[in-house]
Amino acid sequence: MDKTASLKRLLNPKKIAVIGASKSKDKVGGIIFRRLLDSRRRLFPVNPKENAIEGHKVSPDIQSLPEDIDLAIITISAAAAVKSVEMCIEKQIPNYIIVAGGFGEVGEKGKELQEKLTRLAKENHVNILGPNSLGIFLPDENIDTIFVEHGDKSLDRNGKVACIVQSGSVGVEALGYASNTGYGMRAFVGLGNKCDLDEIDFLKYFSRDNKTNCLGFYLENIEKGRQFLTSAKETTRKKPVVVLKAGITQTAALAVSSHTGKLAGSDNVISGALKQFGIQRVYDDEEFCDATKVLSMLSYAPGNRVAVLTAAGGYGVMCTDFIEKKDKRAKLVMAKLSETSKKQIKDATFSFTACENPVDITASADDRMFSDSLDVLIEDKGVDIIICIAFFAPPGITENLIDIIADKIKKSDKPVIVFTKYGPFTDNSIKNLFYAGVAAYPSVGRAVRAARFLVERTRIKYRLDQEASLNEKKIKTLV
Amino acid sequence: MKKKLKLWFESLGDKENPDEFDAKQLVRLYSIKVPMAKRLEPKDELDVCGINPPYVLKVCSSNILHKTELQGVVLNNDNECVQDNFKMIQKRFPNENILVENQSSYMGPEFIIGIIKDPALGHAVMVGAGGVLTELYKDTAFRLAPCSVDEAKDMIDELVLSPVFENFRGMTLDKEKLAQTISQVSILAHDLGDKLSQLDINPIVFSDGEWTALDVKVMFD
Repeated sequence: MDKTASLKRLLNPKKIAVIGASKSKDKVGGIIFRRLLDSRRRLFPVNPKENAIEGHKVSPDIQSLPEDIDLAIITISAAAAVKSVEMCIEKQIPNYIIVAGGFGEVGEKGKELQEKLTRLAKENHVNILGPNSLGIFLPDENIDTIFVEHGDKSLDRNGKVACIVQSGSVGVEALGYASNTGYGMRAFVGLGNKCDLDEIDFLKYFSRDNKTNCLGFYLENIEKGRQFLTSAKETTRKKPVVVLKAGITQTAALAVSSHTGKLAGSDNVISGALKQFGIQRVYDDEEFCDATKVLSMLSYAPGNRVAVLTAAGGYGVMCTDFIEKKDKRAKLVMAKLSETSKKQIKDATFSFTACENPVDITASADDRMFSDSLDVLIEDKGVDIIICIAFFAPPGITENLIDIIADKIKKSDKPVIVFTKYGPFTDNSIKNLFYAGVAAYPSVGRAVRAARFLVERTRIKYRLDQEASLNEKKIKTLV
Repeated sequence: MKKKLKLWFESLGDKENPDEFDAKQLVRLYSIKVPMAKRLEPKDELDVCGINPPYVLKVCSSNILHKTELQGVVLNNDNECVQDNFKMIQKRFPNENILVENQSSYMGPEFIIGIIKDPALGHAVMVGAGGVLTELYKDTAFRLAPCSVDEAKDMIDELVLSPVFENFRGMTLDKEKLAQTISQVSILAHDLGDKLSQLDINPIVFSDGEWTALDVKVMFD
């Protein structure tokens, strides 16, 4: 079995050993064990100092574990963790998650321990995630080994985004942010120090995974840069790949006398390389979540002409400014509505409705008017993307609007993105919209940026498809 | 290594660093146009045979990186003044070779095409707004080498300068050919492999229907 296929057993294990499981609810081994109780997997806690935890019999040592354990989660500290991996390998356990830090990130001794893990993985053909890994969380498989608090309930909805993160804290914050407003998580993987499994392994796995339609990476270093880029390009033919790359590589240290060298700054090279290989780059955790959310919920923008529908005039104007602002990611333009559309909107709303784009149906509008106007914009051939500014403050507009918009999005082949604000209830509105299948954002700028991600993605897909068909033709001619 | 590159390395003799003339011969191997030129040795008489006026005179040495600052370049020489200016520059740099070139007239802005070696990702090719102010403009786009002509077109589109290809002020610059040149330079870097450290073609200009490299520097590890 190849390495990629073998990850299935790591990510969906039936029998899990927890080395260092603890009665204490404060210890990592206690938290992870309790989290796994909900997973309905067979659990095998190991701890010489305990007899039973939450009704589970505890094995005193690794030797007394049964055969065919799929995954060992090692919750004990660095040196002891390495020893227990060695013992687990004797028991033929194929997969490991090592939670502890104190390895490559803390100096020579730690580095040696980490190198030992790398060797153990290679020589024995086992998979090791970490060390210093935050763990894995796959809502659909009902498996969660993450020992820090995260809002799992709101993520638990047939999610399609695979998030692969190198750093714990950034990953946790992304999770927290995502769960506040609703986010379709297919999988969350904390890479940690990457002694064995790295971003390329999970890229390949989730690229093949039918339940995944978008991949997001938070990476600090990409050791096998070209290999990652080449694999990612394979994936981007089918699914969007988003990368949050932090940390500047060391080109700056290169002795440069050329103009090109002085202009390079390695970040420019990374940016260019990511574009070249069809990867969409983001710069912080908020943008990471915004991008992956819209790319997994709405797949395709037929063009870059945006229509704005609003019941709040000010935000309509602001939205226009954001759309027309120059942006390197993708150019957007305000759509020109047809005369028929304008008349239909006036007929459906008021004779005084401002029907030039942005379409402002005013605070006197009600649900039906919003709904009818949205229909007109979806039908207009000059419109590619629609941004709805949905406010629930006007008396005629109710929460029913959420289902109305959701229903239209399902039937429309044009993406509809929503910007909504509702004072202290904003996050909740966005979450409710998410449950109904609508991608919504709490600011005009972020809603417009989401539209840019879609246009950027459409362009990447088009370019890669063209390239592929050109290559096919070349091969045919050669044959 | 490709045969043409081997021959080029042989032509360098025991020189460790190629000079401008050598570097221009190198890019010519990849179908990049350079001005008609002759490299004259320290004691040589001026010889402009086969080169059309006006002429550029340049000190030609891999030791001198900033020749303009050292007054090592004289532009706009016609047949009348070229002899005197040649003597003057020879006096200023008595031990260096002198390059005499046709001075190309050109349309539109100066560009730069370059190569650097990123420690993690290997060779990358760059295109940008060129000339002496290139480091101030910072109007650049990068891709990893080798890159295709289509990828090079995307690079050009990223530049602030890119509207010059849309018939800006009546200019008719050939974007396709510039993209081909970028792609060729990236292939050159790929072919040379790890020993290539940096390469600058600055400026490269649109002259007589072709993108022409007016100055080329190449550095090896």
